[in-house]
Amino acid sequence: MSYIPTLPAKDFTLYGETFSSRFLLGTALYASPQLMRDSIIQSRAEIVTLGLRRQNPADRSGDAIWQFIQESGCRLLPNTAGCKSVKEAVTLAEMSREIFNTDWIKLEVVGDDYNLQPDPFGLVEASDILIKKGFKVLPYCTDDLILCRRLVEVGCQVLMPWGAPIGTGQGLLNRYNLLTLRERIKDVPMIIDAGLGAPSQATEAMEMGFDGILLNTAVAKAHNPPLMAEAFADAIDAGRKAYKAGLMQKRQTASPSTPTIGQPFWHQK
Amino acid sequence: MTNPFPNNIAIAGAGLLGRLLAWQLLQSGCNVTLFEAGSFTPSAPQTDRAAAFTAAGMIAPLSEAVVSDEGVYRMGQFALARWPQWLSTLSVGVDTLFSQHGSLVIAHAQDLSELEQFERELRFVIPQCKTYQRVNQHQIQELEPDLNPHFVQGLFLAEEGHINNRELLAIIGEEIILRGVQLREFTSVEVNANKIISSATEEQFDLVIDCRGFGAKKQHPELRGVRGETLHVETKEIRLQRPVRLMHPRYQLYIVPKPNHRFIIGATQIESEDRSPMTLQSSLELSSALYTLSPAFAEARIIEMDTNLRPAYMDNLPHVDIQDGLITANGLFRHGYLLAPAIVENILAHIFEKEEKVFSELLNR
Repeated sequence: MSYIPTLPAKDFTLYGETFSSRFLLGTALYASPQLMRDSIIQSRAEIVTLGLRRQNPADRSGDAIWQFIQESGCRLLPNTAGCKSVKEAVTLAEMSREIFNTDWIKLEVVGDDYNLQPDPFGLVEASDILIKKGFKVLPYCTDDLILCRRLVEVGCQVLMPWGAPIGTGQGLLNRYNLLTLRERIKDVPMIIDAGLGAPSQATEAMEMGFDGILLNTAVAKAHNPPLMAEAFADAIDAGRKAYKAGLMQKRQTASPSTPTIGQPFWHQK
Repeated sequence: MTNPFPNNIAIAGAGLLGRLLAWQLLQSGCNVTLFEAGSFTPSAPQTDRAAAFTAAGMIAPLSEAVVSDEGVYRMGQFALARWPQWLSTLSVGVDTLFSQHGSLVIAHAQDLSELEQFERELRFVIPQCKTYQRVNQHQIQELEPDLNPHFVQGLFLAEEGHINNRELLAIIGEEIILRGVQLREFTSVEVNANKIISSATEEQFDLVIDCRGFGAKKQHPELRGVRGETLHVETKEIRLQRPVRLMHPRYQLYIVPKPNHRFIIGATQIESEDRSPMTLQSSLELSSALYTLSPAFAEARIIEMDTNLRPAYMDNLPHVDIQDGLITANGLFRHGYLLAPAIVENILAHIFEKEEKVFSELLNR
């Protein structure tokens, strides 16, 4: 087998659309919109998420900032952050479809106000409703296998399990669950969404075979957000390359199975 | 010999910058005409008064540097020196207008990582900073005995202060009327070099200064408004000596003590140009933060809920644009009282062609 440099391959497919970047970036929490846009550029992201729950979308009061985000040229992925009930999430999804002219929605149904943990029951119900209304739903979910199966059953073609609760920077808290998900649901693209704090954690997720990374706080709250965006982009690329290249098996050499040649016998125990 | 400097000056916008500039220019002997789209009286009911009336009036260079940059810190330190100087020249001396007893940054035990993050960012922006210290439960109680005793850790930022802003705006308003400003209230204008156009007339000036804040949006679409909501409460059960900032994963709020047992708690920061009344969500966030600072706030009376738009450019930094016959100052965002002295002195330096244009590298980009 010979080495053919192929990266960055345009092999990341979500709802029939292909992308070369596997990094999706959030647009909240930056010290200024300018820093946000510089970060988007450095991240090489092709998809950015944005929330509109608190911006009085019915009156289009967020137009100034939405237009500025739109000028980045990225595909917009509106989210339903802040919605605590199925009805709220569905209404907001419909509103954002109208405003941004897209049927893609990052679906969030908040189950707990403090750690913003997804409400799995509401999530399945809202996904079902929205998919029947023609939406392409990207659900922010926990790492529970059965929940993820239910979401696929109602028609989600992408899953976005958390690494850890939003904004915590804890990394992949439950590697066992995440590995189970990856092993058991092989044919649905999975994006690790939320909870990552360091680029090494993104690399780790990509090495495990996840298809993409979505994050916000780790970049927005860095001292230098554009630089951190670039660091994550590189880390995600590295993890993807490593996954495709195939990681070696870890070896145990603490206790030798055979005598070690070339060492004086009085050092051998 | 003719005066080399402009003498007949128009100012558009009677918010903080407009009033301060009118005041300083009148003191220098200029003729000043001040245009205001709404009422000149801060207390008059109106829908679109300047952001300066809604602000809490903190002069907090360190706290604000954490959410902006080192330039804002330097201009803020300038403000801490300039405000008392300015206020001492007022003909009606009011010693309660400006106070400087530091500020306290605290977090609940569960949210101490927010405090750590704040300190990390502070040290990153101002590496040499010596004017803050960590304080423990005991020290917090000594500084603010009425705070809930469960706050175990905090930061004391010794140099920060605050201004009783509504009182200040009213006093400067009276001062400039006393000094003979030509006042045109309820007059929306279009601003041009050497020229102000209103629905009634077109007037020529030696110089026009545009400081309309968000009111300039029509002429400057690159400006945006950032919604902020504040809650005003009144209670005699609790006293605070200084502004207190509460760090929380979802929101960062401050409470500022005001005269007559009043407190302002604010402010939300929402990327929206909607200036309709406060949402229930925001009122819950503001009032529950207040309540956790001290349960004594439970019986405080809600005096006012205010909403306004902070004028900002996309970099959230102020800009002063100097052209022939027209100076434009805008984008003070959430730092009005912190940045106004630097901006006013910068503009005055340009008008009177002083050698040192203060903060030119930060403002005249």
